[in-house]
Amino acid sequence: MDERQKTVADKIADYLANNLRLPRENIDYDIPLFGDGIGLDSVDSLEIIAGMDQLFGVTLMGVNDGVFANIRTLSGYIVDHPDFKEQDK
Amino acid sequence: MNDRVVITGLGLICAIGDNADECFDNALKGTVGIREVKSVEHSQCYTHIGAENNNFVTPEGEDRASSLCVKAAEEAVSDSDIDISADPERVSVIVGSCVGGAVSIEKFYRDYVADPEKASGADVLKMPISAIANNVALRFGAQGVVDNIANACAAGTMSIAIAADLIRSGKADVVLAGGSDPMSSLAYSGFHALHALDNEPCRPFNKSKGIALGEGAGILVVEAYEHAKARGAKIYCEVLGSGVSSDAHHITAPHPDGEGMQAAMERSIANSGISASDVDYINAHGTGTPLNDSSELGAMLRVFGNEGKVSCSTTKSMIGHCLGAAGSVEAVMCVKAIERGIVPPTAGYTDEDVAAMREKAGDFDFVPNKGKQRKVEYVQSNNYAFGGNNASIIYAKEGAPRKLAEATDEKIYITGLGIVSPLGNTAEAYAESVNSGAKAHECETCGDFTSVVDRADFDAVGMKLNFYRKLDKLSQMTCVSGKRALANAGIIVDENNAKKIGIVAGTSDGPQTDIGNFQKGIIASGTQSGSAFLFPNTVYNAAPGYLSITAGVKGYNVTCSNGAASGIAAAAFATRVLRTTQNDVILAIGADEDSETVHMLYEKTGAVGAGLKLGDGAVTLALERASSANARGAKKYAEVLGSGFAHCPVEFGKYGCADKLKEAIRLALEKSGVKAEDITTVMTCSNGLKSLETVEKEALTDFAKAKKVNVKEACGEGRAASSALAVAHAALMLSGDINDDAGEYVLAVSASAGGSYNAIVLKKA
Repeated sequence: MDERQKTVADKIADYLANNLRLPRENIDYDIPLFGDGIGLDSVDSLEIIAGMDQLFGVTLMGVNDGVFANIRTLSGYIVDHPDFKEQDK
Repeated sequence: MNDRVVITGLGLICAIGDNADECFDNALKGTVGIREVKSVEHSQCYTHIGAENNNFVTPEGEDRASSLCVKAAEEAVSDSDIDISADPERVSVIVGSCVGGAVSIEKFYRDYVADPEKASGADVLKMPISAIANNVALRFGAQGVVDNIANACAAGTMSIAIAADLIRSGKADVVLAGGSDPMSSLAYSGFHALHALDNEPCRPFNKSKGIALGEGAGILVVEAYEHAKARGAKIYCEVLGSGVSSDAHHITAPHPDGEGMQAAMERSIANSGISASDVDYINAHGTGTPLNDSSELGAMLRVFGNEGKVSCSTTKSMIGHCLGAAGSVEAVMCVKAIERGIVPPTAGYTDEDVAAMREKAGDFDFVPNKGKQRKVEYVQSNNYAFGGNNASIIYAKEGAPRKLAEATDEKIYITGLGIVSPLGNTAEAYAESVNSGAKAHECETCGDFTSVVDRADFDAVGMKLNFYRKLDKLSQMTCVSGKRALANAGIIVDENNAKKIGIVAGTSDGPQTDIGNFQKGIIASGTQSGSAFLFPNTVYNAAPGYLSITAGVKGYNVTCSNGAASGIAAAAFATRVLRTTQNDVILAIGADEDSETVHMLYEKTGAVGAGLKLGDGAVTLALERASSANARGAKKYAEVLGSGFAHCPVEFGKYGCADKLKEAIRLALEKSGVKAEDITTVMTCSNGLKSLETVEKEALTDFAKAKKVNVKEACGEGRAASSALAVAHAALMLSGDINDDAGEYVLAVSASAGGSYNAIVLKKA
């Protein structure tokens, strides 16, 4: 990950900790978000979609599941997206 | 026992009319009341529609949920031509609601965000669901049982079922029962966040992508048949049996198999002593969400077949989803259908849709677009809610054959205790703290007594991170106390007993912290930015819903909310449920949370300044039928005898008159067959407020010799948690676990700001 993606990845990790009440120390870039990892569910995914839109201007509605595999894939998709905005909100 | 219960009056306000007749006539025509929403800001949302009643302007200074409800109640009382003042103590009020004072909640937090000083305590008193039934009781001077049912979208149906149970158990002659919910930014934003709103008028079971949010209130005058006959009342129809079940599956989504829905439907039919083939019309829940509709349709096809003998419609296609009012609005539709021999339609079906539905459901009759004349002798109305709560009820033509399930008079015992309190998080830890005179945990910043639940508690009861992280403190405490109570009772939940274990939860203030968090979020970022994560926690029945999931219990599941007495009310209510349903065990819970938000709200009302020291916690009493307890050789902490309830109609937020506390005590003693002088210990309820102390002192003059114990001295005013803790503490004294001899009989009393008093009697087992 380059610095740009790392910044986004850390912001995502903070967002998950704050908004989904996950212990921050449990979240690394590669832990699976769904299934056996942190065990997020469909309601959590709606919260993530809303949050990524708000934080980075990227719409994740309808993208394939692979994007949500872990923070590395999610942050990669976001920084490569044409709508990506580095904003502080 | 006289088990005949009838409907003698109707009141309704919703998107398609201002009274019952207007709404029903419009429904028969297939009039759709779903339009652009005016009362909620939705410019950035993906949808802009809902089903409001724009004729009804909330009177200045009132909350919309209460004023809609009072309006419907006025119509029902006038329609029924009943004189409530003739015998007010026999008139009860039971109102269901999901979001309660959500319009006032928005106003309060808007003011608060702009300037914390500006937000008013008067608005705080309009926020809780508790206020609604109290305001209706105040309007009509009702002095019987007053309670609110807070099971989100199933609340309206449950309130009518509970009204019928109250009458059958002799607690009331007349009940104003129904539900009320306003259009609100809270609900609009929440369902928007869950992507559960349709951007077109919903067409349930058909092409619908989600719900249309509605608003309204329905009130029915539910009355003992003999009482109605004696006063020459017009009788619309009868209320037969009901069924309540839990999915124990997911907090927002129904079980895809519709297993719990099916159980509720089958139970209401069985409890009425009829068969599925007797049912002429079903008013389905039919919200329009793909998940609800597919599981509900599957359940209906299994229960009723697809031959088209029964007609089924969902009036939500016209009225929208009125949440906690839905069951009551739909009840009025059902009653009118029986009266007039015509059933309302499901709107929005094209010819192609009807053909497509035939592929899916054979000849199952969805009554497309226009009302249909037919025999309407037995009607089933169904509602399902967040928390996986399912409710079903049967209405029938006057005199239609039936055989209601019989009540038992079995003894009821407390066989398990789960205590989350500022003095410890198990019954054993609490008793040890009391015995050793330990000091309760106090919050450093606010000085309140607070419970602390953490990782150690979750590990001990087997709750994993991916479950407990979603829960607010109220839910976490409730789950820990509920699972501790089951373990303490020695009950292992399995396939054989899951459907015979239920929950009756009582809470004064519900999840006010996450309600505040959610509302502040949308004030900051707009209706379109509501948190999908927080929204499920904003309903009062989320905590017992989570408990049913983590404990796997699938029986009865009702949440009642009427102030601090709700813990004792839940215990009293649970004993009635055990005697009238298939449940062997009911987890009776009193739970309320403290937090910065809750502390601030109680400061705003002036209670903190006047000497109230807050507390919090969750206390679960495992109540069990004697036959079940004896069969498994359970430890019996105490026997639960009778209970009493009385209401003094006062402005919400104030305590009532001493006479009514005396009346609640008199009723409880009478029901228990115990005299005042037999009572050896009284669990009192004073909380530092002078007004309550005066009332209690005056009401307890007959008990001068009895030992007095007040759990709030050590643990603060934990509201429903305190009133349930009083019962648990008494049980631990009676069993000898607390080294303080209680004697033979304990009386526990509790008071709610709003004028309601509860009393319950326990006996050494």
